[in-house]
Amino acid sequence: MPTAAEPPNKVGTTQSPRLATEAEAIRLAQGGDAAAFEQLYQLHSRRVYALCLRMVGNPSDAEDLMQEAFLQLFRKIGTFRGESAFSTWLHRMTVNVVLMRLRKKSLPAASLEETTEPDEETGGPRKDIGAPDLRLSGAVDRVNLERSIEKLPPGYRTVFVLHDVQGFEHNEIAGIMGCSVGNSKSQLHKARTRLRELLQEDLRDQARAERHAAKTQAGLGD
Amino acid sequence: MQCKDIELVLEQEGIEPLPEEARAHLAECAGCRNYVADLTSLVDVANKLPAEIAPPDRVWVSLRAQLEAEGIIRQAPPVAAQPASWWQSIHAFFSNRVLATATVGIVIVAAAVFLIRSEGPARKTPQPTETARQNPIVAPVTPSSHAQSKGAPAPAPSTFTAPAEFASTAQALNDQEPLATGLIVSSNSPIDASLRENLKKVNEFIADCEHHLKEQPQDELTREYLSAAYQQKAELLSAIIERGRSIN
Repeated sequence: MPTAAEPPNKVGTTQSPRLATEAEAIRLAQGGDAAAFEQLYQLHSRRVYALCLRMVGNPSDAEDLMQEAFLQLFRKIGTFRGESAFSTWLHRMTVNVVLMRLRKKSLPAASLEETTEPDEETGGPRKDIGAPDLRLSGAVDRVNLERSIEKLPPGYRTVFVLHDVQGFEHNEIAGIMGCSVGNSKSQLHKARTRLRELLQEDLRDQARAERHAAKTQAGLGD
Repeated sequence: MQCKDIELVLEQEGIEPLPEEARAHLAECAGCRNYVADLTSLVDVANKLPAEIAPPDRVWVSLRAQLEAEGIIRQAPPVAAQPASWWQSIHAFFSNRVLATATVGIVIVAAAVFLIRSEGPARKTPQPTETARQNPIVAPVTPSSHAQSKGAPAPAPSTFTAPAEFASTAQALNDQEPLATGLIVSSNSPIDASLRENLKKVNEFIADCEHHLKEQPQDELTREYLSAAYQQKAELLSAIIERGRSIN
């Protein structure tokens, strides 16, 4: 769990060159110091923008949402007492702003209870046992994964991006999403399973398109 | 262990490391083995996606303007007084927009009075328009002005003729303008509204300067303002095009 002075894990986390610690920047920002606000923004904006972008899939909306999230955060910065990590607080604010926007846009409702179709025999999610072998290993790349992430329901998408892309732990995600650790784990597993299905659908579509192209080619050859 | 138990393990413990019992089941069950291999594969790719993406600088500019407008960012207290050089004093004087505007106004009026006196009563005094008086440098529009700018008409390029030395610049900018504004014309975003409003003000200011230079071709101060305004317009169009392309 990151402390107020230590933003969360994963490679490439921005570190501030100017003020000694994030805690110091927070204290100065609470007094209205412009440089401290900028430092906090610079420290977290890349991570927050990446989250917004993956959640809405559109740079323009992502910019607006990020600005709204930071604005809400800075308006309330005087109330921050450091009980939770600053980054957790910021991400909670961001997730709320994003999910609110998605609800307003009437996209599929963000829910922590989204379910996948259970396998009738085993009681677990379908694993396409007996279906043509569509192993994803080697077939998944960043582009088709990003495309499939966009198709996930918002609740799944949030947990998946926070855990598997941004590197948050389940206890942090629980703090951000306002749910239990168990719920976060369950959502993540369902998100991964759903992603697998989406990627397999992509592979099937590709295979179908290739067969169609081959038939067309053969027809032209005759 | 059965297939449904693997589900539970994957949900509660994650993909790695799997307990011994689960691994034993995978060794016997091809379906579960493929399933776990697929999940591992997609998680590996997800771990390699960039966790950080740099947002455009304009977001901080806009955010900061909003924070200042709401009084959340407070201005730094004045630094202990130090003897300033004459150049710093002049620079500080002109960095105050109101003083600079007033000075420009006085210079223009003085020049006009001088011209009237030297050329006789037949000549009409050229007056800088309200926009020119208010906007020697066009101020950034914050998202808080979004409400007013939403209904603002589309910015129009200058209708006056640019002075000869600026003609090609003016032409190039006017050629780019429809392309740029077309990219964000239907956007309701506060940032786009702010860009449109800024462009409108720059165009008005350019028109005022061109008009004034037409009346007084020797007015170097207006010429400088016009040059700066063209530069500001070029930067704005560039920002609009960059943003428009990111939207579309």
